[in-house]
Amino acid sequence: MVVTYSRSKPHSKLETAFCTHCGKEVLDRVDIRETSPVFCCLGCKTVYQFLQSSGLSRFYQLKQNNDRQIQPGGGDAIEYRYLDDSVFREKYARGLEDPQIDFFVEGVHCAACIWLIEKLPEIVPDVKEAKLDLGKSVASIKVAPGGSFAKAAEKLAWLGYRPHPIESDEKASELQNAENRSWLMRIGVAAACSGNIMLLAVALYAGLAGDLARYFRYLSLALFLPVLFYSAAPFYKNAIASLRSRTLSIDVPVILAIVLGAVVSAFNLRNETDHIYFDSISALVFLLLSSRYVLRRIQQRNLGGSHLYHFLLPSKAKRLDVKAAAIVEVNTAALLPGDLVEVGPGDVIPVDGTVQSGTSAINSSLLTGESSPHRVCPGSQVYSGTLNESDVLQIKVTALGRQTRLGRILKQIEEGGLKKAPIVIAADRVSKWFLAAVFVGAAIVFGLGADFSDGINRALALIIVTCPCALALATPLAMSLSLKKAARAGILINGAEILEKVARVKNVVLDKTGTLTYGKFEVLEWKETSHLHREIADIVVALEEQSKHPVAKSLVQFLKTRGSGTSLPVASFKEEIGVGVSGLVNGQFYEVRSLKEIDRTNTASVGTRIGVYCETKLIATALLGDKIRVDAKTTIDELNRFRLNSFILSGDDPEVVRNVGETIGIATNRHFSVATPEYKSRFVKNHEPCLMAGDGANDALALSSAYVGVAVHGSMDVSLRAADVYIAHPGVRYIEKLVVISKETMSLIHRNFAFSLAYNLVGGVTAASGHMTPLLAALLMPVSAFTVFGSTLIGTRKLREALRERGGK
Amino acid sequence: MTILAILLPLALLISCGFVAAYLWATSKGQYDDLETPAHRIFLEDELERTKR
Repeated sequence: MVVTYSRSKPHSKLETAFCTHCGKEVLDRVDIRETSPVFCCLGCKTVYQFLQSSGLSRFYQLKQNNDRQIQPGGGDAIEYRYLDDSVFREKYARGLEDPQIDFFVEGVHCAACIWLIEKLPEIVPDVKEAKLDLGKSVASIKVAPGGSFAKAAEKLAWLGYRPHPIESDEKASELQNAENRSWLMRIGVAAACSGNIMLLAVALYAGLAGDLARYFRYLSLALFLPVLFYSAAPFYKNAIASLRSRTLSIDVPVILAIVLGAVVSAFNLRNETDHIYFDSISALVFLLLSSRYVLRRIQQRNLGGSHLYHFLLPSKAKRLDVKAAAIVEVNTAALLPGDLVEVGPGDVIPVDGTVQSGTSAINSSLLTGESSPHRVCPGSQVYSGTLNESDVLQIKVTALGRQTRLGRILKQIEEGGLKKAPIVIAADRVSKWFLAAVFVGAAIVFGLGADFSDGINRALALIIVTCPCALALATPLAMSLSLKKAARAGILINGAEILEKVARVKNVVLDKTGTLTYGKFEVLEWKETSHLHREIADIVVALEEQSKHPVAKSLVQFLKTRGSGTSLPVASFKEEIGVGVSGLVNGQFYEVRSLKEIDRTNTASVGTRIGVYCETKLIATALLGDKIRVDAKTTIDELNRFRLNSFILSGDDPEVVRNVGETIGIATNRHFSVATPEYKSRFVKNHEPCLMAGDGANDALALSSAYVGVAVHGSMDVSLRAADVYIAHPGVRYIEKLVVISKETMSLIHRNFAFSLAYNLVGGVTAASGHMTPLLAALLMPVSAFTVFGSTLIGTRKLREALRERGGK
Repeated sequence: MTILAILLPLALLISCGFVAAYLWATSKGQYDDLETPAHRIFLEDELERTKR
């Protein structure tokens, strides 16, 4: 079946349908028995038809229907023409024979996307190869010499994957790759050696004696050497570095355990005594290396591949061609320092630069948070991301992209993802004290030992068995894993600190327009009361297409996909302002106008009612308004389940707010209407700790003053900057997910803490009192580390399942 | 049991071969991107068919 239906109303035959191409909810109500494809817009329909006709319909089989959305964008060849500019190519393309450009592509998420993008060579001539790295959302496109990147990019955009060229930074990424590879090699060697040593050790434990036993022991020493000198190298480096800066890092006891264990084992090997720990130590190195590598990769993922500024800056700019004295519209990435750019009133300035001519007022709230505009004149410095409010400006470009002030700020935000949460800082501090205490304890135990051998055994056991893993490693691991899981689900959280804060939130304040509702004037209801008129949709489209009124536009958009698509001629068209339109179609007189007083049944409803009349007889009615999001009610219910108090805070009229609030189940005493930005800000401050979610510019102040500010999909730039969390999905469902993620992560960390504390207490006491041999300690250490890491990995995996389950439509 | 004196180094030699193969694969970038190929495996035969 091609179309999916929501199961929200199991009893009604008419269900909400989702667009066959992009999966977006279609406002139209479709009969469930109907299996023909439905589309949310003409763009989707066109792409669908193209894919069908090019024999690429397999895309829809690969794609999961309830998946995230792909929205076919416009994009014309002219917009991407700059990609074939020689200056641009020099900067971005690599490879001489077949030039290649890496693009950050929006909206890739599944096997179907890989499939479609990698089909590009078949769709676009000249394209030799297209490869997609799904994890990074980077597509590498290779074209034949002399081929056009513009055509490829245009096609990508048209298919719904907006491409943004990435400046090739081969050195940095190569360096990172090389380092990752060397880690993998160290892990591989450690795994192979420790595995073989363990096999040998089994024979020894089973009671092998004599010459063969000696032979086995020396063999395990031989296998241990690569682990000691090659695999463990990063630990030596870190431990030395930390000792140099006079701090204790977790690597110090690790190294101490490894070296001490190796020396004691070698000593015992020579003296032909039993205590040899090569197997345990190499297993320890292997496990520690693996967990470090996992952590490292996660951090790289969080840091790299983030291209925030593509979403914040306009993609097009008007470049002034001095020679031709003309204005050319180009992509922002095509600009060079020294170029002249024209920025009209109401436009966002795409670059850093100096004003050449023109005076205007600039709103820099995105950068400074100050909302009152300031004047600029020739010579003034202007920054990208700021809003030109009043007049046309000509700006000479001084910095672009990542080099701009905004670019640098965004870089800080990206790096802020690694900013340490209070709980991580606390864990770090505790683990340092912990290590110091262990060393002091070990020295005392050694002094108290019966003889040298007993003392060293007890001290060694104590050092090996106590492990601050849960504190020093598992906490940041849990945090980064959760942040990553969230980012994958489309929730971008600005640092681990925020994740910790969300768990403490008591009140949730929601903006109405755009957050709880779609924020658009749409057809909510369409009823045809007469079955005699088959072509009602076409007739209304024909009439309303002549009008520019928002009601007309919504009606046309809504009915275009419902009708047969035949355009009907309209005669003696008349538009009456404030009432509607009328005209002759097929020789009959039709009117599309606000519903006549006598036809109104329900006066209390919110929205605009429209009636279609044929020769003054009512044949269809429509209700237009701002539709409440489908997921709003379930989200509020879920939030209530978490014992969070939900509030509506809106600048809209009381009646509209009350209607929305009642529909989604928020008590009347928690509706606040006609709220100014200042009022919103005061409100959230009075309701600490509170989570504020909104999208409009009027929410920016409240978002920044809230304990946690959440900007939802489609937010204005200003509120995006003010927010701590950005949700890249329309709808409020993800707010609940954010809360789930945060709560689960914090309970996971606390669980790890409790386990680690209990383990270290029991293990430490047992070791110090001499009831534990260093061998047993060495066996326990990886086991304990493994338990904590395992619990973290499983815990966050559960999180993902929870996210997926709740995410399904 | 003296045969072990020969068999063990032999076994270790074989395992060395595997370690070497792993190191070679890693250095060639076999493990750089672990995600996309996992999806791509579903598509490969389709691509082959269209090529023919």
